[in-house]
Amino acid sequence: MFLINCPFCGEREQSEFKAGGEAHISRPKQPTELSDDEWAEYLFMRKNIKGIQFERWNHSHGCRKWFNIARDTSNDQIKAVYKMGQKPPVI
Amino acid sequence: MLNYNSPLVKENSYSELSMKVINPIMKLIIRGKKREFLSGVGKAINMILPTESCTSSTSNDTTALWLSPDEWMILSNNVIDKNTNSYEQENHLINNISKINLGAVVDVTDQYVLINIEGKKIFDLLSTGCPFNFNDFRNKKGGVIQSLMAKIDIIVHHKEINNVNLLVRRSFSEHLYSFLSDAASRI
Repeated sequence: MFLINCPFCGEREQSEFKAGGEAHISRPKQPTELSDDEWAEYLFMRKNIKGIQFERWNHSHGCRKWFNIARDTSNDQIKAVYKMGQKPPVI
Repeated sequence: MLNYNSPLVKENSYSELSMKVINPIMKLIIRGKKREFLSGVGKAINMILPTESCTSSTSNDTTALWLSPDEWMILSNNVIDKNTNSYEQENHLINNISKINLGAVVDVTDQYVLINIEGKKIFDLLSTGCPFNFNDFRNKKGGVIQSLMAKIDIIVHHKEINNVNLLVRRSFSEHLYSFLSDAASRI
């Protein structure tokens, strides 16, 4: 359990949020031209690294807005919180 | 208003705490992003929507709660007529907002139950099941938060010092009310 600083509501407890997986994965522009492997790569394959990972989170029991965080997966420290559409900060 | 017999006890009192269900209260959810939306709502209900997060604004007969950057809840301050489903302010909002595609207006009068809690130990009571840190909130009149209480979504409106309005979905209200009653009897 940890605290997340929602960019809209302020600091809240993790149980109010839903994790939305890895951030900054863009949908292929022409899905019909992809092979099955490439499509599977886009759909299912995630990095799941130990260290700083950029993730999408949703404040589902609060303002219901999506945003991004940079979280160190080894100790759950949140290095940065930034809104959707913004570029990931350099950490 | 639905012809609905609420199973909730209308009023419960404990030491330095009292809870009562207030109904019927007009409740509307409005959503919109454009600047014209904000000014249109201002004209329709004669008050300015709070744009700062987790705040509310109140006029003589209406209260607006900030729920998210593009979502607000409008409450009537006083109890409304039981036998109606149409409210003057809702009609104003529909004409000024929905009909010209500036945003959405939804009547949620029957979807939410408003529980008013009074007394010195309100935040001790809420802390029994809510992960939110009330230390700053307890001194901030007019504050609004959405959080969880015993895993149930709630909206907390700090109406006045020692007076809090709790909004909860009707289907969860009975469970929440019995949780609160039980917790209040042990504080």
